[in-house]
Amino acid sequence: MWVVLLVRNDQRGGDLSSAVNNALPEHFLGFGLGLRTDHFQEVIDTKPTVDWFEVVSENFMVNGGKPKHYLHSIRELYPMVMHGVSLSIGSTDPLNKAYLNQLKVLVNELQPEWVSDHLCWTGAHQVNSHDLLPMPYNNEALNHIVDRISHVQDYLGQPILMENVSSYITYVESEMTEWEFLNEVAKRSGCYILLDINNIYVSARNHNFSAQDYLNGIDKDKVRQFHLAGHTDYGDYVIDTHDHDVADPVWTLYKAALQRFGLMSTMIERDDNIPPLQDLITELNIAKRIAQDTLNYGVR
Amino acid sequence: MVLDNMEKNSLASLQKTMMGYLLKGETIIEKSIVKQGNVSNKTRLNIYKNAYQARLKEVIDNDHPILGMYLGDDLFDEMVSGYIDYSPSNCTSLRDYANQLPLFLTKQKPFSLHPIISEIAQFERLLLDAFDAEDAKRYTKDELQKLSPSDWLALTFRFHPSVQLTSFEWNCVESWQALKKETAPDPAIKQTNNWLLWRNPQRLTQFRSLNEEEVLLIRMILNGENFSVLCEYLYNRTTDQDVSVLALNYINSWLDDGILRSFA
Repeated sequence: MWVVLLVRNDQRGGDLSSAVNNALPEHFLGFGLGLRTDHFQEVIDTKPTVDWFEVVSENFMVNGGKPKHYLHSIRELYPMVMHGVSLSIGSTDPLNKAYLNQLKVLVNELQPEWVSDHLCWTGAHQVNSHDLLPMPYNNEALNHIVDRISHVQDYLGQPILMENVSSYITYVESEMTEWEFLNEVAKRSGCYILLDINNIYVSARNHNFSAQDYLNGIDKDKVRQFHLAGHTDYGDYVIDTHDHDVADPVWTLYKAALQRFGLMSTMIERDDNIPPLQDLITELNIAKRIAQDTLNYGVR
Repeated sequence: MVLDNMEKNSLASLQKTMMGYLLKGETIIEKSIVKQGNVSNKTRLNIYKNAYQARLKEVIDNDHPILGMYLGDDLFDEMVSGYIDYSPSNCTSLRDYANQLPLFLTKQKPFSLHPIISEIAQFERLLLDAFDAEDAKRYTKDELQKLSPSDWLALTFRFHPSVQLTSFEWNCVESWQALKKETAPDPAIKQTNNWLLWRNPQRLTQFRSLNEEEVLLIRMILNGENFSVLCEYLYNRTTDQDVSVLALNYINSWLDDGILRSFA
């Protein structure tokens, strides 16, 4: 995979080609961005130096028109991964077969590098909250989620990635830490982990646990991708808004994550208050530089 | 973290009580939340409730910008709040969340007292439907010119999937257009009117009004009638025009609009 990536970056004047002497991890895509509507045309016109794009699956579960047109045009230029928000893997409702079918259709259309969603539930009793609601971390929830991930992976014919969500509450029903739960889910279901570094920071602040303990508790070989994002700090608590630049403590935690997990496919996930594309690329270059400095790889 | 002395819920029960909180403000979920630090459980839960309502409001705001201008902030907020209570989402994509908004507006006072409000909402939903409807190749003049004379009478047109035929009883589209241009709309006037909406070859949504004759022709095509039936209809209602010229004028206009679907 990365040989193709290096050619692509050469064509766009990127800098990963200089890393050819270093042993890049097999699943390393480079540094990507979330593909947002505001940037569709600019991406096609300018072909910016971004290694890959992550697309929100549900945004393209439409029949046609502009969204699909841009999606396919940009897919011809860049590798993509698909990131969903509606799988609701932890819900006690039956898995939504219609949704899974739409997801599979999109996977077949896009041939993404991988597919991810969140370790959470989004609704119950056929009502969708459209939020990423936290799970209780106990054996009942663990067994439930492992079964459902296995079903989804069988249906899609590939392992998926599960992302940790930000949370503001802890249920009395929890019997283990979030990282123990996430790790066990990955181990038992065969899925991989998308670590959102910002979400770890947000939850650590809200629940007063050590973000470093979180990183240390996750198996190294299970992580396939990092998310970086911004949040809003209210002093006593932090809300995951994904509408600001990445904050300094999250950059620090990202460095710690690199030290534990090594070079990792990393993207900036901006969901609201979308800045100009160039601003996001500048922020992505910070992530690249931190990776280069931390791991001593890459640019000659 | 293990709290053996507290009542534990099954996963299903926990999810039910959390949804009860989000949808109806039921507070039983508070018993299932661990007290942590200086932040009260009420504050913690409120983050989820606020996010739930803000997210749905944002969707309606994005889908119905002109309706928002027509209503003004206070009535728009009243509508959003009422709709969130009336119609909990059962869709996986927020794209579809406000699909029932026009229906809600026909039922809920004070909106139901002004039917034009529901019609503006319906018009905006039809624009959305045209925007992301299925793609399809469009019928072209070249394709038409390749038909042999014998093909014409059995020719059955099909419309591009984005095409929406609709009728309103109020001047909702004119009001929508006025607000789009940031001018004051006329007072609501009852007037039956017909509209065609579609996505053009440049992927922009378009709409135009239709006269009664064109509406009937389009309905006949939608019902699967062929060209000879269309001509027969025109012949029966026309006294002073050449039917073939009239029919070709309509076809040329539909080809220019890009609303006919290719047979290829």
